[in-house]
Amino acid sequence: MLVLTRKIGELVRIGDDVTVRVLAVRNRQVSLGFVAPSAIKIFREEVLQLIESGNRGAALAGRDPLNAVADLWEEVGRDEHR
Amino acid sequence: MTSTAEQRAPVTVGAESTLAVVSQRFGSFDVPRDRIFALDPGLIGFPEAHRFVLLDSRPGSPFKWLLCVDEPELGFAVVDPAQFVPGYVAPLEQAAAALGCSAADVALLVLVTIPERPSEIFVNLLAPIVVDLGRRRGRQLVLEDPALDPAHRIPLLSPAAAAR
Repeated sequence: MLVLTRKIGELVRIGDDVTVRVLAVRNRQVSLGFVAPSAIKIFREEVLQLIESGNRGAALAGRDPLNAVADLWEEVGRDEHR
Repeated sequence: MTSTAEQRAPVTVGAESTLAVVSQRFGSFDVPRDRIFALDPGLIGFPEAHRFVLLDSRPGSPFKWLLCVDEPELGFAVVDPAQFVPGYVAPLEQAAAALGCSAADVALLVLVTIPERPSEIFVNLLAPIVVDLGRRRGRQLVLEDPALDPAHRIPLLSPAAAAR
């Protein structure tokens, strides 16, 4: 892992068109500012992990769960859905 | 040899317009090629899964089936959030910007998770899938709104119906 020490206001450049600036350090938090082309997506790691685990949990094991939900929907639908 | 080729000709034509997808989990399908769209990059956590098709789970049901034709054992249930989540502000402008199309061309889907008790299904509002069906490409957005619930329960049954 490359480790760089930066002061507030200083920049790191990644490749040709991404820069990261240290904006502020408060208590145990660091604010970073990113400038990058829109094709480069920048996310908090834990947000992506949350979505990744959600996606994995949503993968179907087979047709049965979807059939079960469709059955329930139809069953209720007879009285309730417009 | 020539006669064999002639006999096979109609099959070959069929094979061009449809793709045979064989799945242990979901069965076998002939998927029309013009219904296949690409998620680029793939679904988050499934970087190898790019080409998908949206199939009806059954006629008239809002629950659609998102099947990966690259990895046929990978399939998801999806719904149009407009039907289940009143007040969900569809990020159509953001989707259109991400896909380079107009908001009118964007179809929005959310992944449905079906737990052991199917009545407890929930949808992921944080990361909808947006598809430009015209140009057959899409992606999973990551919305930066902390108010959006990645596990939003959707009522399949009203309390009265659930009590029956």
